[in-house]
Amino acid sequence: MENFREVAAGKKSLKRDYVAIMMWFMGRAIQAAAAVDRAVKKEFVDMPDGFTFALCVMPNGPHMIVGKDQRGLVRYRGWDPEGKTINLQMKIKNIEAAMLIFTFQESTALATARERLIVDGEVAHACAIVRILDIVEVYLLPKIIAKLAVKRYPAWSYARKYLGRVLIYFRTIFGF
Amino acid sequence: MYLPEHYEFFCPVKINSGHKALEQIPFELDALNVRKPFVISRKDDSERGLVDVIIDAFKDSGIAIGIFDGVPADPDLKLIRELFNIYRDRGYDAVIAVGGGPVADTAKVLNIAVSGKPNNIEGCAGENLIKRPLKPLIIVPTLSGTGYEMSRNAFFDGRDYASHFLMPNLAVIDPRMTIPEDAVTTASTTLAALAHAVEAYTGSSKNPLADAYAYTAIQLIMEHLVNVIGDQQDRNGRLSLANAHAMAGCAFSNVASGIAHELGKIVGDVCHVPSGLCMGMLLPHILEKHMSESDYHISDLLLPLAGFDVYASMAENQRARRAVDILYDLLKDLAAVSGGAVSRIWKDAQVSEDTLQDVAQRAVGNGAISDMDCCVKILREAREGK
Amino acid sequence: MDMPGYYEFCCRVKIISGHDALEKIPDTLAQLNAGRPMIVTDKGVVGAGLIDIVVDAISNGVNIRAIADDVPPDSDLRIVHSLARLYREKDCDSLIAIGGGSVMDTAKGINIIVSEKADNLMLFSGANALKRALRPMIAIPTTAGTGSEVTLVAVIKDHEKHLKMAFVSNFLLPDASIVDSRMTLTLPPAITAATGMDALSHAVEAYTCLAKNPLSDAHALAAIRLISDNLLKVTVNPGDKKGRLGMASAATLAGIAFGNSMVGMVHTLGHSVGSVCGVPHGACMAILLPYGLEYNMHKNGHLTAELLLPMAGAEVYVATPKEKRAQKVIDLIRRMNQELYEATGGRHARFFGESLDRNGKEMVPKEKLPDIAETALRDGSIFYNPEDLDYNDFLMVLEAAWEGKPRNACLTGKG
Repeated sequence: MENFREVAAGKKSLKRDYVAIMMWFMGRAIQAAAAVDRAVKKEFVDMPDGFTFALCVMPNGPHMIVGKDQRGLVRYRGWDPEGKTINLQMKIKNIEAAMLIFTFQESTALATARERLIVDGEVAHACAIVRILDIVEVYLLPKIIAKLAVKRYPAWSYARKYLGRVLIYFRTIFGF
Repeated sequence: MYLPEHYEFFCPVKINSGHKALEQIPFELDALNVRKPFVISRKDDSERGLVDVIIDAFKDSGIAIGIFDGVPADPDLKLIRELFNIYRDRGYDAVIAVGGGPVADTAKVLNIAVSGKPNNIEGCAGENLIKRPLKPLIIVPTLSGTGYEMSRNAFFDGRDYASHFLMPNLAVIDPRMTIPEDAVTTASTTLAALAHAVEAYTGSSKNPLADAYAYTAIQLIMEHLVNVIGDQQDRNGRLSLANAHAMAGCAFSNVASGIAHELGKIVGDVCHVPSGLCMGMLLPHILEKHMSESDYHISDLLLPLAGFDVYASMAENQRARRAVDILYDLLKDLAAVSGGAVSRIWKDAQVSEDTLQDVAQRAVGNGAISDMDCCVKILREAREGK
Repeated sequence: MDMPGYYEFCCRVKIISGHDALEKIPDTLAQLNAGRPMIVTDKGVVGAGLIDIVVDAISNGVNIRAIADDVPPDSDLRIVHSLARLYREKDCDSLIAIGGGSVMDTAKGINIIVSEKADNLMLFSGANALKRALRPMIAIPTTAGTGSEVTLVAVIKDHEKHLKMAFVSNFLLPDASIVDSRMTLTLPPAITAATGMDALSHAVEAYTCLAKNPLSDAHALAAIRLISDNLLKVTVNPGDKKGRLGMASAATLAGIAFGNSMVGMVHTLGHSVGSVCGVPHGACMAILLPYGLEYNMHKNGHLTAELLLPMAGAEVYVATPKEKRAQKVIDLIRRMNQELYEATGGRHARFFGESLDRNGKEMVPKEKLPDIAETALRDGSIFYNPEDLDYNDFLMVLEAAWEGKPRNACLTGKG
């Protein structure tokens, strides 16, 4: 047939790799922040043991899975959702939307307002996760970029910000 | 604020507009339970790279798409047969139409065929003869459309089809698709949208819900039309105009058709001038003639035309006059910014007195207008250019 | 006008409005290939005689198979299941929901169960869990109003497990909403005032929060204009048919606006006050609205300022200098609350300290404010508020709203 063809969906490998790396970093940073930062600790204390949440890109990942184990310790649980019970999923609708978020062109708040992601699970927990993500971003990113990522840049003491940043980076890279 | 004693409103079109809008399509398809979409477009849009943008947007989605990019400028039922066969044989379950008028009309009529009536499409022509929802339809407009794509109407192979079930489920307005068109096309399509929106906002079948769409369309057009014609690179302006077109189409589908629309179509036909330009030229003259009639609501038109501050500062009994003057000024500005291209078309058409009578006769004949003299007067004034 | 970088807008509900819109229901159902509806409503609506009006208007054209009037003020999973059973027993093919938010949500829940032939409603909770159209549903709001007849959300509470399930899907939108002046003619003044302010808060928050877009803005402006023109009128004179239709249209417009652009801190706090102390939703909105606008002023004051035109008219708008317009809007809302307080003989509370229940007992003891602030941290509408709020911010706003004193805008922690 003239003028007709079928095109299979291509891949966006570079973007997937970039998002996967950012998510890996973010997951381990959350684990680190849960050990180092009081506010993050408190948010997790309010969640039940075994609670697991995932940030993922539709339709097929990448994924970031973080959960509390039965002893109450917060752990980054990897990129494979297979076999895991996920209590809360924050799903980014497509890889381009994920790029907008992970290149800080759209903050979490703006991405939500722009319908880039959907939440499956208890909204109360989603609110806590967003607060945790905001805190982690303030630790990980220089102020000029963090201000794009969060709604209100917090006024922390030097100790909290700089000491915390060093500890979290250290723990993120070395994985504990 | 005017509130009619009785009204009905229905707009099933979802509008997604902005940065990376196309990439959200796979998610929307999933919400509509669609697995295999069929994209149709025109050759020249395909050659301008628009289909490649769609293909790119579907990367990483896992969804394969069928593409037919040979829709001609004047499609016929033979084409529908061909497309129907492809759709059926390949197991597609939705149509995505990329581009303006002819593609959208083709998509709507194709949708009638694939939703259970492949052998009697003509039987659905006319008003409200489609009785059930059709299969999913998505429209990705360009600036060569007037917003008619979102409306409940399709004009195909000489027949009018009208039903709310023809309206698309989703309109995706993406700045990568609203690429620049030439001045005359942009002016014509946008003036058509403006005429539709203004007539919805000021006419006797006005209602608050259609008003919301019409109001927004008028505002966007007034803010951006002249700028976009002057500066092709104004991406935000072009996106805004495409939004205005879509909204005007939605408003238009929920009110009675107005005089500028009906008359503009006939003049366009008879004089071989883009009908949008005709509608735009006629609009202020028509409003002026009806300014003191109680079932025309013209004074509030000043609000979307000129903004809060101008509207609020103007005395109530002056607002209608000011609104009409703004519309005359718009035509002058368009003539100036297009280097005369827009007004030249009308002048070159050399509309004679006989043509005016002919047009008026046809308008009265098909019930669009009741007063022949008034009609001729309007046409004459428009030709003279006030 | 600012075109947002990206937005989405949808309202697929057919709206039929008028003084005799109910009579269109049989045709509307016929077009949807249905004719054996179950009416879902509550005892309050029955008591007000509204079911009789509806039945009179439609029984010639449809076969009403069942009338279920036991929907509680708060949607309840058990009732949803038992009414779904009734629907099946009586061989119904469509639903007509007549009432306020809880009735609408219950009907949407019933529709999921009977359309998907489901035993467990939980399976469909969350966003986008529904994949195809449900049975035809007609919504007839009896307040003006919650706007839930045009939203794609339903919230159903499981009181046994203490869970709140939210369902979000385009398929939950009713096929049609009937906006008929007869349905709110007998609404008592205090409820008229509260539900009217609810509609106002929807329109104002949709216009001033982060997910705003040009189309929802247009709906919001029209709603605010209609409410400013009509709310006090119908509170003072309940039988004003034109005014009632105006308010009903306003509630629909406001519902469409916030259904697409969400809401912000006024709802975050309002939901929490409602859930901890049981204060009716509209009453919470009325009290909190000026405080929400004050808190956010440094971020969206320029948007609040624009509301002066629909709220007060051209003369006041022009006479007020640009930099004072936002504050004027806030003052006008406080004045509305004052006028409604007077028009309802004191039943419309202007601040939480004077919120009283039917027995005259205080509904919001000051000691509960910390609990409410804590609860607010768990409400998702905060995502769309232009400024962040932590526990202390919530408490600060609540304390001001409890006492009824305008807050000093400088105290807002600015982001």
